[in-house]
This record gives sequence, C-alpha cells and structure tokens, in this order.
Amino acid sequence: MNRAINLSLALSLLVVPALTPAALAAAPPADPARAEQPEVSNKLILSNARIEVGDGTVIEGGSILIEDGKIVRVEATAITNVAKSVTVDLQGKLVTPGLIAADTSIGLIEIGAEDSTHDDARTDSSPIKAGYDPAPAVNADSSLISIQAIEGVTTAAVAPQGGLLSGQVAWIDLLPGDHANIVAAAGVSVAANFGRAYAGSRAASLAQLRQAFEDAKWYRDNQRNYERNQSRELVAHPLDLRALWPVLDREIPLVVRAHRASDLLALIELGESLSISITILGAAEGWKVASELAAAKVTVVIQPTDNLPGSFDTLGARLDNAKLLDDAGVIVAIAHFDSHNARNVTQEAGIAVANGLSHAAALRAITLNVAKAYGMDGEYGTIAVGKVASLVVWDGADPFELSTSAERVWVRGHELDMKSRQTQLRDRYMDLEPFQR
Amino acid sequence: MRSKKALWPLLPALTLALTLGCDKPRSTTTAPTDPSEGADEQAASDIEQPDEPGEAVLLRAGKVMSGTGTSYSPGAVLFVGADLVAVGSPDDVTAPKGATVMELGPDAVVTPGIIDTHSHMGVYPSPNLSGLSDGNEMSAPITAHVRAEDGFWPQDPQLAHALAGGITTAQILPGSANLIGGRSFTIKLRPGARSAEDMRFEGAPAGLKMACGENPKRVYGQKGGPVTRMGNVAGYRKAFEEAVEYQRKWDTYRRKLALWEVGETNSRRAPKTQDGEPEVKRDEKQRPEPPARDFGLETLVGVLDGDILVHMHCYRADEMSLMLEFAAGYGFEIRSFHHAVEAYKIADRLAAADTAVSIWADWWGFKVEAYDGVRENAAMVTQAGARAIIHSDSATGIQRLNQEAGKALFAGRKAGVEISDEEALRWLTINPAWALGVDDRTGSLEPGKAADLVVWNGDPFSVYSQAQLVFIDGEQVYERGPNSRPRSDFDLGLRDELRGAP
Repeated sequence: MNRAINLSLALSLLVVPALTPAALAAAPPADPARAEQPEVSNKLILSNARIEVGDGTVIEGGSILIEDGKIVRVEATAITNVAKSVTVDLQGKLVTPGLIAADTSIGLIEIGAEDSTHDDARTDSSPIKAGYDPAPAVNADSSLISIQAIEGVTTAAVAPQGGLLSGQVAWIDLLPGDHANIVAAAGVSVAANFGRAYAGSRAASLAQLRQAFEDAKWYRDNQRNYERNQSRELVAHPLDLRALWPVLDREIPLVVRAHRASDLLALIELGESLSISITILGAAEGWKVASELAAAKVTVVIQPTDNLPGSFDTLGARLDNAKLLDDAGVIVAIAHFDSHNARNVTQEAGIAVANGLSHAAALRAITLNVAKAYGMDGEYGTIAVGKVASLVVWDGADPFELSTSAERVWVRGHELDMKSRQTQLRDRYMDLEPFQR
Repeated sequence: MRSKKALWPLLPALTLALTLGCDKPRSTTTAPTDPSEGADEQAASDIEQPDEPGEAVLLRAGKVMSGTGTSYSPGAVLFVGADLVAVGSPDDVTAPKGATVMELGPDAVVTPGIIDTHSHMGVYPSPNLSGLSDGNEMSAPITAHVRAEDGFWPQDPQLAHALAGGITTAQILPGSANLIGGRSFTIKLRPGARSAEDMRFEGAPAGLKMACGENPKRVYGQKGGPVTRMGNVAGYRKAFEEAVEYQRKWDTYRRKLALWEVGETNSRRAPKTQDGEPEVKRDEKQRPEPPARDFGLETLVGVLDGDILVHMHCYRADEMSLMLEFAAGYGFEIRSFHHAVEAYKIADRLAAADTAVSIWADWWGFKVEAYDGVRENAAMVTQAGARAIIHSDSATGIQRLNQEAGKALFAGRKAGVEISDEEALRWLTINPAWALGVDDRTGSLEPGKAADLVVWNGDPFSVYSQAQLVFIDGEQVYERGPNSRPRSDFDLGLRDELRGAP
C-alpha cells in the first residue's frame, strides 16, 4: 500500500552536490569538520549509545548500523568490522526513535491566518472528500519542517481538514528541502471528523458516514451499472468512494477526530459493523469508555493537556486521560495538535507522566503508538532492524524534560543540519549592536 | 477587605506531608514554645502587629525562591494572616508561639504566586459558547469605555484550573479586535467568588487594552475600517487627540471653578475687603458648567495622567518601535507590549523605554505577524536589560506558566545567554507584578508583601513539577489531591466525575 521509495534516487537528489551520490553523512553537513571527511560512506554506525528502543526496552552501550536509510543492525555491544562504514561514538548518550507527530498540517499550512498558504482542505461542498490526497501539496521548503525536525520530530502524519471525510493522510519524513523524498507514503489512512458540527447533528453525521461506506461497497460491486447510468444515487463522487476501499479491506485505518464518550462508542460500533480499523484522535472523554476502546482494539491519540470543558463534547476532559486509557489496555498515542509546535510533544508526554502514565508508555506514545495509529508501525516507531533510520540523540537523560533537547537528528539516515529559520533569526539578533544607530 | 478566614481550614500537617508525595515520614511540629530556642530576634522584632493578627504559618522547604533573585536552600517563609513576615534560611526564620509549622520536605520548592499579565478567563470562558463570549466589544474599533470586569463570569471553570497551576494573580483583558479594547482589571484567584468584585485585586490600577496590527484591520476591514496599519495608527491618534481635548476642557472647567469658588473669573480679580482679604462673592448663575462626562475619554485621560497602565497587543518589532514613539509623543508610557513575538529584535529599545514585554515561550506562525517567533525571546530581552514576562493568553497555558518559562530559560541558556533560575522566575512573578502595578503588594516573597505563594513538589522548571499548595493573602486556597480543585457552579452535575482528577 505504501508508495515504494526509491532510495538511490532519494540520495542522488539530496542537497549537497559535493556529497553525491553516497550522501549518508550530513546533508547539508552539520559542521565543517564532518563535511571534509574525504570518504563518505553509506554505512553509519552509532555506537556506545543508550538506546531506548521505543517499545519499552532499553539497550545500554548499544550500537546501531544504518545503511541506505534503514536500520540494519541493533546490537547490545559494539558493531565492528563493517566495511566502508563511519562510526560515531555517542559516549553513552540517549538515542530514541525519531518522534512522530500525529494529525498535522506540516507542509500544507505555512501561516495559520493566511489562506494563500493553505493546502489542507478540498473546499468543495461535499462533506465526503475521502479521495482528496494532499501528498502532492506537501511543501518541503516549509519553515515548519526544520523547526520541528531539529527538536526531534522526524516523521509526521499530514492530514487534510474539513468535511466529514477529509481525505487521505500522507506520511512524511521531515527532510527539509527534499521535495522528491519528503513524502514517504501517501494514503496511509483516511481522515474523518465526527461530532455534531459536521452534518448539523451527530446522528446525521453517523448516518452519512455509514452511507459513504455502504455506497463505496455498492459502487465496487456495481461499477458497470454506474458507468451505464444504471445506478442509484451515490452519496459522493466515485473517486471519493473508491478511496474508502482500502479502509473496507482493512489495509489502512480510518482516523477519526472525535471527543465525546457517546461519539467514541458510536465509532466503535461503526468500526465493528463495517469490520474496519479505527483510530480516534482527540478522545478527550476516552477514559469514560476506556474498556470499550480496549476491547475494540481502537488506537487513541490524545493531547494530555486538553483538560478543559471547551465544549459540551469535552466536559469530561482531564489531565490523566492517558494514564486511565493505558491502565485499561488501550493503545495510547500522544500528540500536540498544533503543527507549528508539534515539537512540544515531548512536553505533552512529560505532563502525561506527571499525571500517572509510566515513562516507558509515554515514550511509546510519541513513537511506536503513533505509527500504530496510522498503520505504519511496520516501518516506523522503534529502533529495530528493517525500520526507517530516523533517530534522535538527546543532550540529557530524559527527553521529556524541558531542559533536554535534541543534539543530533537523523531522518531516514540523513543527519540534519541543526538549523532552522528560527535559529537564524535568533543568531541575527543575538547581538543588537550592529543595528544600533 | 475580605474576611481573613480561610476558605478551607488548614489540614493537619501530616496530611500535607503525605499529599506532597514525600517518600519519608517527616516531622510535623509546631513552633518551639521557648522563644529563645533558635529564635531570630531580628526576624521576630520585624513582625508588624496587624490590626487583626491572623494565624502565623511557617513553611519550611528544600528551597525557597524569593522572586527577588535570592534563593534559600533550605528555606523558610513565615506569614501572619495575609502578610509575609520573614523569608530566609530556616535558621533565620523562626515561628512565633502558636504558629502552624509545615514541614514540606527537601523536594518542595516555595515560590511567589505566579502572575499572568494576559488572561481572558471569565470573558472568554470554557465552554466556548456564544452566550458566554464577552471578550471583544466589536461594535467599533475604539471602545475605551468598556471594562473587562463588566463582562467577567466568575463561574468560569478555567479559573480553578489556573489556580491549580499556581496562578494567584491575573490580569483579565478585553480581546484584541479593537484598536482600543477597553479597561482590563486584575484579579486574585480566590475561589468562591460570586461577582467580579469578589476577585478584584484591591488597589491594583486599571489597565487599558490596545492592539496593533492584524486583528483590528481584519475585524474592521470590511466594516468601515481600519483596513491597514496606517488606519490603525490614525485611529489611536484620533482617540488620543480627543482625549487631549477632553483633558483640556476639564482643566479649563476646573480652573474656572476654582476661580469661581474664590469669586473670581479669568478677567476679574476678586476685590479686596478692608482688611485685605479677598471678598468672595459667588454668583450661582455664573457657576461654570462641567463638560459632559465621557467614560472612554476619561479612561484615555487616565492613561495620559499615568493612572491607567497601557497593555498593548503588538507582535512586530517595527510596530512596537512605532508605538513607543507614538506614546512618547503624547507623554505616556506603554507599560507592557503583549505577545511581542519580535521583542528580541528591539530589546535595547524596550530597555531604554522601560517597557515590559509579555510573551509566550514558543507560539509562532498562526499569523504572519507571529512568523518570526523564537524560543530565546525572553532570554534575549532579559540579556538586553528589559523586563520579560511569560504570559499565557490561554486557559491551557496558564495552567503551567512555570513550564513555559522553563522552555524559554533552557532555550536561552543553550543559545549562550546566561540566565539563572532566579532570573527566569522573575518572568513569572515580580516582572508581571510590575507590569500590573502591584509589585509593592505581590510578586516576591518579601516582608510586608501579601502571602501569595506556591509550594511545588520539585524544581518549578521541570515538566514533572506541579503546584501542591497555593496561598493567596495567607489563605490556603488550593491543595493538590482528590476533591481539591475548587468547583465552579458550571461543574456541578456536569463534571462530577472529575472530582478525583488531577
């Protein structure tokens, strides 16, 4: 289902011409010393690391071999005797999987209030936009990409907004400026909104959602009749219905934004009756129906700081939602649902821990479980053989602490230059004297 | 003044020790009965006898951060009734006879109560319903005549959540739709209020909310203007010209009245009586007529006179520079720019003008005027000698302003700016107190100030730390634990299940 990734093409298109074709070293280089390495290898060994795998296990003094953007070996000891490899001694520093941001508009919205910078929604009148695929709109030059990436967010789900079924979710590697390779996979799930706002009544929303799936099935079985104009009226355009087939086939999940406990139960029932896989985003009242969510194996993505009764759909919002869901056996992922500050997901995780979630569960909640929420855990979310080599080295022992920040970041095997538009602005004005007149 | 009676009686010290998550049993003592036992004569003699001496409470903690730049590890704080009496090391601060002593443990950190200069609690409450939306009087771009306190809903559930985040004082502002949005007012987060008046910070000056940039032109662009930033500034100018004229009318009236009261007019001196005293002959028909009162213009005159503090929503460096010049031209000061995402670009000018900036740690990009945000903003402003304040403008952010300051602190340090923890604490305490004109009453732990303080269960700049106890005017108004957060009327019957929630 995922778009095949031609990695040699990916590498040859990378930013620094001097380093082609084998550009697994810094791109662009993080410091001149590294840039001047005479021989550039496509095999990188990170050694002597404290590896938090992302599934709860920790490897002390471990090593990771990266080749062609993938993790090839993970060992509890040093990896040696690898031909043409470069080794980086991490001196016991903490390495985690790259963090994954759920439900973002990264690359689709540059400035919130400026519509001319928006590509996040298809603005037709139909509430069923499942066929809308924003992947071609993702802008690798967006300033948001490096701003998140240099703080450890290496991967993001980029989801369209609007309507009842908003469209398809793109999965991106946060490779600044790399237009050819930023989209790792398109159509990894279908995004939806649920609640009263989307069809005047939540009951009407539910009926419309169900009708869309029923029509998608009908259309698949009756395409000829449709083309001969011998069809009943369909609730949406055939291309929007066709986009639901992989959901119906359980190849990809339906990812639904919803909060109220009753809405979550309705979605569980919908998922079971259609035999589809469902992820719920938001789920402020998830704790109220935690056992039902666990039984239905629904993955839930929450923002722990959402604890206010901002509407009558979130009267039950509370700070320990993550803990209560986790205790009940729900697969919990954590997000900071603001694309410009998706980097604050570490703070969200820390706040969940301060309110009862275990540290290991919180790390899983911003790595592996986000991948699970979108059905991408086969390739992302842990430091394991065969997975995409998106990794973060931290300058402290606890990635959630406010005093800890990312020191080095690899995205799909490429080390990032730890620069962003923000660091440049900061550096320009750090000394005001040149501006004084 | 409100009654000094605690809303919740102080719980036994043992319960406190347990709820603070202490892993070791701690001694729970009352003050030594023998005054010579470790008593500090100086501290004792400093105690002013209040009219109604309240209960004496001594807190002993692993650390006390005073907000003045000094920390004590370990430290102690003594307050009697509403007022702080002594702050220092435990050896220097001893309890008077009969005082309640709270041993908070080595992990506990005491700081001044956190102060937010920018909140819309009560005027933009939760839930976000149209019927409760009272923050922007969008009937005209200049509404200096409205007051936030007149739209304030004291049952807003957000207030209790802010309190649980250690907030003791907040400025409630009108929104930023208007060039001049109206008067703000400052509250103390006392639970149980039935009106805005019940929460008012007594003696705090009023503020005036003004707004630069995109919001006014967006709101009024299709409604008669302003359409541009040019129009914005023309709007402020028109308003202040009217205020100057209004002030002149009243000055003239007052002068005429003063002359009339001694029997004179501008052109006629009062004749002298035989013994040389002026002969006062008041002609009631000649009594000067006062000009019509205009509350909006009176507010602006309050600004010109320095009685009302200007809080101006403004993002861009060039716009803030422009507004500093504008204000200087009319002879008033802007007390604090709010949001000030580009303050780091003009930190030197802010220092020179003695204008504070109330900023976020890291919000950016939601508008083009917020596009140049950097996490080092507060550190860079501080480095230049200007006053930085971390504000929330958010009912979520206000619940952990300490963490927001933490992010700004560590980003600044990593960029090479030397900032101590004590300096960063000022961003949340004495600096906002100054911006609100209440720094003589709160914002630091100093004898004579209000006993507004927070007990944290660890380093206030850690993501894991939470406020355990909050005192306002010496009253314990919050204690973390089941059933501890005050419940507004709105919560009843709708959020009953949350009683045990953190």
